[in-house]
Amino acid sequence: MMAGAWLKKILPPVLAAGLLALSAGSVQSAPGDEEKGEAIYAKRCLQCHGEDGDGLGPAAERLNPPPRDFTFGLYKFKTTPFDEDLPNDGDLFRMVSDGMPGTAMPGWSDLLSEQDMWDVIAYIKIFAELEGAPETQLDTGAQVATSAESIAAGKTLFHADDRCSECHGAEGKGDAVKKLKNDNGERTWPRNLTKPWTFRASNDPKDIFTRISVGIPTTQMPSFADPKSKKKLSIEERWHVANYVASLAKTEKVVRPANTVIQAARVEGEIPASPNDPAWDKAPPSTFFMVPQIVGEERFFMAANDTISVRALFNGEKVAIHLEWDDRTKSIPGDDKAKSIADEELAEDAIAVQFPAVIPTGMEKPYFLMGDAAKPVNLWRWSSGTTEEPESIAILDAKGIDGQVTRDEQGGLAAKGSYKDGTWRVVMTRPLVTEAEDQDLQFEEGRFIPIAFFAWDGSNSEAGTRHAMTTWYWLLLKPSASARPIMAAIAVTLLLGAILIWWGRGARAQRREG
Amino acid sequence: MRIPKLLQAVLVLAGVYFGFIVVFDVILDAVIPSSLLVMYMFFVTAGVFMVFTYDEEGTRELVAPIKALVEDPSKRVWRNIVFVIVPLAAGAGTYVQMQPSFEAPLELRTIHPAPPSTAKIYGKRVNLLKLENPFRKLEKEDPEQFRELVEEGAAVYIENCQYCHGDKLDGNGPYAAGLNPTPLNFQDVGTIAQLQESYLFWRIATGGPGLPKEAAPWISSMPVWQNFLKEDEIWKTILFLYDYTGHSPRSWGHE
Repeated sequence: MMAGAWLKKILPPVLAAGLLALSAGSVQSAPGDEEKGEAIYAKRCLQCHGEDGDGLGPAAERLNPPPRDFTFGLYKFKTTPFDEDLPNDGDLFRMVSDGMPGTAMPGWSDLLSEQDMWDVIAYIKIFAELEGAPETQLDTGAQVATSAESIAAGKTLFHADDRCSECHGAEGKGDAVKKLKNDNGERTWPRNLTKPWTFRASNDPKDIFTRISVGIPTTQMPSFADPKSKKKLSIEERWHVANYVASLAKTEKVVRPANTVIQAARVEGEIPASPNDPAWDKAPPSTFFMVPQIVGEERFFMAANDTISVRALFNGEKVAIHLEWDDRTKSIPGDDKAKSIADEELAEDAIAVQFPAVIPTGMEKPYFLMGDAAKPVNLWRWSSGTTEEPESIAILDAKGIDGQVTRDEQGGLAAKGSYKDGTWRVVMTRPLVTEAEDQDLQFEEGRFIPIAFFAWDGSNSEAGTRHAMTTWYWLLLKPSASARPIMAAIAVTLLLGAILIWWGRGARAQRREG
Repeated sequence: MRIPKLLQAVLVLAGVYFGFIVVFDVILDAVIPSSLLVMYMFFVTAGVFMVFTYDEEGTRELVAPIKALVEDPSKRVWRNIVFVIVPLAAGAGTYVQMQPSFEAPLELRTIHPAPPSTAKIYGKRVNLLKLENPFRKLEKEDPEQFRELVEEGAAVYIENCQYCHGDKLDGNGPYAAGLNPTPLNFQDVGTIAQLQESYLFWRIATGGPGLPKEAAPWISSMPVWQNFLKEDEIWKTILFLYDYTGHSPRSWGHE
């Protein structure tokens, strides 16, 4: 099966190169047809962007970010200078063709032809009466190739005068405590620069350079090419910052869809109880996407958390789960600073790990969303605490989203959390086996144990059924190495060798006789 | 030059093996489970063996090189090499095979389980064999009203379904990557184009928890829509699904 891996690596680029060669001659520049565009718009775009192009389609309230309002003719991801009103046609084409990651806007290039997309763009421009071509273009100078020096220079500029870190935070996780709004009065959050897959227009240094130079119109992301800005950067400086921002990508925490198993390694001695213990860095993280809880009542569409990284370790007595997730806000009810940045209701941040109450023997698992009547689950739920109460851990026995009972006794379950620079780290530790056998999952080495996660961002009005979630993944306590494989290998080798020798001798003897 | 029979057989087997990998893993991007591949290769090997040993001459030609290797005194060096390498390779293979696997257990999935003949939907027992979309007949009788219903269905879809199934109905909405199993792609000819509207109504209304016993592994994230939507909203959404993708529902009439 692994033989396919290299083919898989080589074939797509070869095919892509072939397709590119085929399409290279057909780049289209003909103007779009507004009437044809209107028909396409009515079928493909109207549901989100609205009949009048005002972004008020039926789903507007459930989309984050909301659909673009075309009537102002302002575009967030344009490549013309900050003081130029018009975007380039290519900017509109790119958004239609490639879509915008992390939003509901898909790329349309597989359903619509190039001409179709130009037609739709011609129609969209009518909403704001956009006419003519931009008068000026962005001066990009000579791109500065990325290098350790350039990244270091960019890092200095990023932090100098709190230039970028004012909003994007010390480590670029968008965690600076500021309440941002767009021109429409809607809440916006500074980008977490360590998650490049959420960049609407890629984290290629060229794109980052453009954002720094142009700003993001209609949001509070300013232009750093604006001569009036106190934090203005030269072209070369902007390239350095772009290279630094591109370097922030946390590649070890990228979601790999094929990785569905958290492998817990066995350690000798004590398990690190502190979430910041360097021993945790040695355990490889498994990162999973989280999605808003849109399955059970009451549904929720605006969850703030989008990924969680999980590590696990165990020894002869205990198992420990290390959870790490980026959260722009440390939500501590009672804290004035936390309250100033939170939405209306401030609740505790919380995380829950879900296990079935017993390891399933067949394929059938409890319902992924907090179990069901026949197959209950254990929820280990950690809460960040308030100014009055410390952080806490609880075990819940759940038989569905509306059937949870919090236990009085924690049965040896303990947890410790830590927040730093936009990231929560929490370690939960529990004995492998407990006395409450009929209620608690009993861990066993070498068994695949279903595991799922729920997260609440208390500053984003998340509490109760309003949270982010995953579906089931697996936890495996890796069994210690045994001598069986090597013994079997030796036995097979000797046996086969003996058979071959016996066969060869017999055959040659027969031949001599014959 | 004529290729010796034994080499022919080996080449055919290797060709089939890599053919499977190219077709499944690379072109279809659906990694073929190794246990299944082993089973396929077993049958292919048996088939190749039967073809190559169809007559006595063929059999003799096929085994001649092996026979020579084992018996021929002039091939002593080669014999010794093979007799060392083969047992060692088998031993190494055994060792690798016996390593504990850390890959997730295989979950075979029944995408379209057979529907029950009746199901309880909206508190009523419904006969799924007879159930029809009450709005379908308007497609011919009153196209204007039909168009309105499709548009109402589109609004329901965008408000409720696109997060997973996508704006393009391709199963690739913004939350799709976070779900296992991934949401169905309605553009694909293998999904709604193969199904009756009553089937869709049943699957939408009862969701993941309404899957029948044989629909392993019962982990669909599909919500139970009868808790959120009205009956006619589901029927309108179904109209929209077919209208947008250009597929037609299957019906008893055409079969």
